[in-house]
Amino acid sequence: MMPDATQMPPLVIRGLGAVSAAGWSAGDMLAAVSEQRMIPATPVPRAGGTRDWEATARLVPPAPPGLLPKHPRLRRASPVTRFMVAAAQEALQGVEFDPQRLGILVVMTNACVQFTSRFYNEVIQTPALASPLLFPETVFNAPASHLATLVGASGPVSTLIGESNLIAEALRLASLWLQAGLVDHCLVIGAEEADALALEAMTYYHKRLVGGEGAGALLLALEGSGPRIESVHGPFSYATRAQRRDAMSEMIPQLPKASALVDRAVGIDRLDRDERQAFAALSFQSVHHPLEILGECMGAASALQLALAASLTQHAFTTCCVSMPGTGSAAFAVHLNS
Amino acid sequence: MLRCPPQADSQPPQIVVTGVGLVSALGTGWQAHEQAFREERTGFGPISRFDVSERTARTAALVDLPEERLFHTLSARAENRVDHGTRMLLLALREAMGQAGLKSAEPVQAMIIGTSAAAMEHGESYSRALLTSPRRIRGQTTRVEHYQPQTQMRTLAGELGWPRQVMLVSNACASGANAVGMGLELLRSGRAQCVITGGYDAVTELVFAGFDALRALAPSGLPRPFDAERDGLALGEGAGVLILETSAHAHARGATPIARLGGYHTATDLHHLTQPDPAGTAAVRTMTRACEMAEVTPAEIDYINSHGTGTPFNDAAESAAIATWAGDALSCVPVSSTKSAMGHLLGGAGAVEAGICVMSLAGQWLPGSLNIRTPDTIAGFDLVRNFRPARVRNALTNSFGFGGTNASLVFRSV
Repeated sequence: MMPDATQMPPLVIRGLGAVSAAGWSAGDMLAAVSEQRMIPATPVPRAGGTRDWEATARLVPPAPPGLLPKHPRLRRASPVTRFMVAAAQEALQGVEFDPQRLGILVVMTNACVQFTSRFYNEVIQTPALASPLLFPETVFNAPASHLATLVGASGPVSTLIGESNLIAEALRLASLWLQAGLVDHCLVIGAEEADALALEAMTYYHKRLVGGEGAGALLLALEGSGPRIESVHGPFSYATRAQRRDAMSEMIPQLPKASALVDRAVGIDRLDRDERQAFAALSFQSVHHPLEILGECMGAASALQLALAASLTQHAFTTCCVSMPGTGSAAFAVHLNS
Repeated sequence: MLRCPPQADSQPPQIVVTGVGLVSALGTGWQAHEQAFREERTGFGPISRFDVSERTARTAALVDLPEERLFHTLSARAENRVDHGTRMLLLALREAMGQAGLKSAEPVQAMIIGTSAAAMEHGESYSRALLTSPRRIRGQTTRVEHYQPQTQMRTLAGELGWPRQVMLVSNACASGANAVGMGLELLRSGRAQCVITGGYDAVTELVFAGFDALRALAPSGLPRPFDAERDGLALGEGAGVLILETSAHAHARGATPIARLGGYHTATDLHHLTQPDPAGTAAVRTMTRACEMAEVTPAEIDYINSHGTGTPFNDAAESAAIATWAGDALSCVPVSSTKSAMGHLLGGAGAVEAGICVMSLAGQWLPGSLNIRTPDTIAGFDLVRNFRPARVRNALTNSFGFGGTNASLVFRSV
C-alpha cells in the first residue's frame, strides 16, 4: 500500500511473542526451529461427516495452566484470540507502556474460521437455532477487540485481512501511527487458527501441504532498546507465477546484506522453488525455514517469521533478512538488525 | 507521477476530495442518490438471494447490478468469479475516478478499502459444496481462491491497470470510515499525494443470519433510527469510494476539489463486543478529536450523518455521545441517519456516508431520517426528518462498529 519504503523510519522491537505448534513462547519456537525438531502433524477431521483424504496440521498444544488471564472476554473466545492474547502478553512483558497510547494492528487471512464454520453449519442445518453467541466471534475484528479490552488499549485498533505477508504493510502503518504521534507503542500481530475447512482448502493447493496455526507479535516503538526493523522492501507486485519469479528477481538486488535468512519455505519443492532460486543469488551464514517445522500458518506465517528473526538478532547480535514472497500479489522482504 | 515531497517542519498538507462514487439500493451514482434523498425513497425489499423463511426479518436493501459485463479485461467466465461486493466497488470506483478526472489509476499511490464480509458468498458456496461429498470436488479450488478477498482486490486492481496491492481494513461497521481515515493519515504524513479510499459489503446468508440470530434486525423490515419505538436495523449493501489528494496534487493536475477532508479520529470502545458504552465515551473522543483536527467547533458542524442504525442501544449511546460532545450547541446540530433509506451497509457504511456528507456540502442540502413516527426524547439534537435545503459548511459522519471501533470524519466546504 505505502508507496515509498525509504520514508519509513527504523522501528525498534521493544518486545516479541509467539504461539505456535512448538509452544506458547518465542523461546519455544526458536528452540524448535534451531533444533529442526519434527513436530507431528495431526489429522483434522470435519466437524460433521467424513472425507476420503487427509488434511493435517501442526497444532498448538494446550496452553500452560495459568498462562492466559481470567477475563470474561476470553470465556467464549476463539482459539485465534487466545493465541493473539498470549503472544501479545509475551511481547508486552517487562515493557512500560501507556495502554491509552498503544495501537494494535492485527493481520489475518481466515481469522475465526472455527466459529464461522460452526455458525454457518448451524445456519444451513438448523436455521432457526443458529447461535447468537457464535456470530459475534466470527467477525474479523473480534480478536482485536478482545485483545484491546484485555490490555486497555482505547486508541487506534485495526484488523487488516489478506495474505500472510500483509504484515509488511502493517509495519508501515505502525510506523505512520508512531511518526504521527498517534501512539507511543504499536503491537503488530499476525494470527491464525487451524480448522478442517481451511485445511481442506489448503490441500487444493498441494496435497502434502501441512497446516499450522499460532500468532506472532511485535511491540514496536520509534525509540528504546531492542532489535530494529531497518527497512521493509516491497511490494514487488505480480499477477502470475512467471511474474512472481520476476518480482523476486527484482527484489533481491535491493536487499541489504544480512547474515541470516528466515525464508517462507514449507518443504514442498513446487511451492518453495521460486523463493529458493531467487535467494540463491545471495549468501547467508544461516538459513532458517520456520514453516517447515511449524506448518503453513497462513495469516500468522510472516508474523512468526518476523518474531523468529527478531529472536535470532536478539540472541546472536546478527542481521537478518525475512523473505515474504507471498502467494498471490506481491513479494516483500524485511531487514532486521540487532 | 506528480510528486510533492513534504517540507520539513511544515504544516500537514490540506486534503481534498476530488471524486465520489456511490452504489446502494437507492441507485448507482451521485445523481441517483440525490434524487432518492429528495424523493425520500427507501430501498428495502424482500430477499430472494437466499432462504429467509425461518428468519425474523425477511427484507434488506439489495442492489441489482446491471446485466452487462462490468469488467472489460476479464473473460465472461472470469467475471463470473468476481463477487457481488467487488462488482459494486468497481462501479463506485469508476464513478469516483471519472468525477476526479482520473483517466487512469497511474497517479494513485495507495488504495485502502474497508469491508466486513469481503467475498463471503464464495466462502458460503465452498462450505455448502464441501458438505455434499466426502470426496474432492471439482470447482473447490476456484471457490477457495476467489473467497480470498485479496484475490478479488487483485482482479479489481488489474481492471484499473493498477499494479499494486489493495489494503483491506476489516473493523466491522467502521471499516469504510477507517479506510477513509487511513487515507487521510497517509496523505497528511507526506508519504502519498493521491489515494483511493472506500468500503463495500454485500448482504450474504451468513451475515444476515448472524444479525437475525442476535435479534438486531427490525422485524418490520423498516429501520427507524431515533424513533421512540425503533426495533432494530435493516441490512443493506453497497459501496462507496472517495478519491483523496493533497490540494497541491489536485491543483497540479487540474482537478476540482469538491470538499476538504479536515479531520478524522478513531478510538476503541472497550465496553462490550457487540454493545456500545451507554455514555458513548469513545464516540465523544472521536467526534471531539476529529473536530479539533479540522479546526471546527461543534457549533460549526452543520450536519451529522449519524451511525444511526435503529437499534435501541446504538441510537441511545450515539445520542448521549452527541449531547456530551455538542454541549450547549446540541439543539442546533442537524442529525440524520441515511441508514433509514439504504439500510446498514456494514463495511461499506462509513465510506458511503462519508460520500453523502460530501454531497450535502456540494449541494447545500440535508438528507432526512425516514420512517420516524415518534422521535425519541433522547435525540436532543435537530433531528432532520425530511430532505431540506440548508447551509452546510462542515459535515461530520460517525461510524461505530462491532468490537468497539469508533471513527468520526469531518468534511469541510472548499
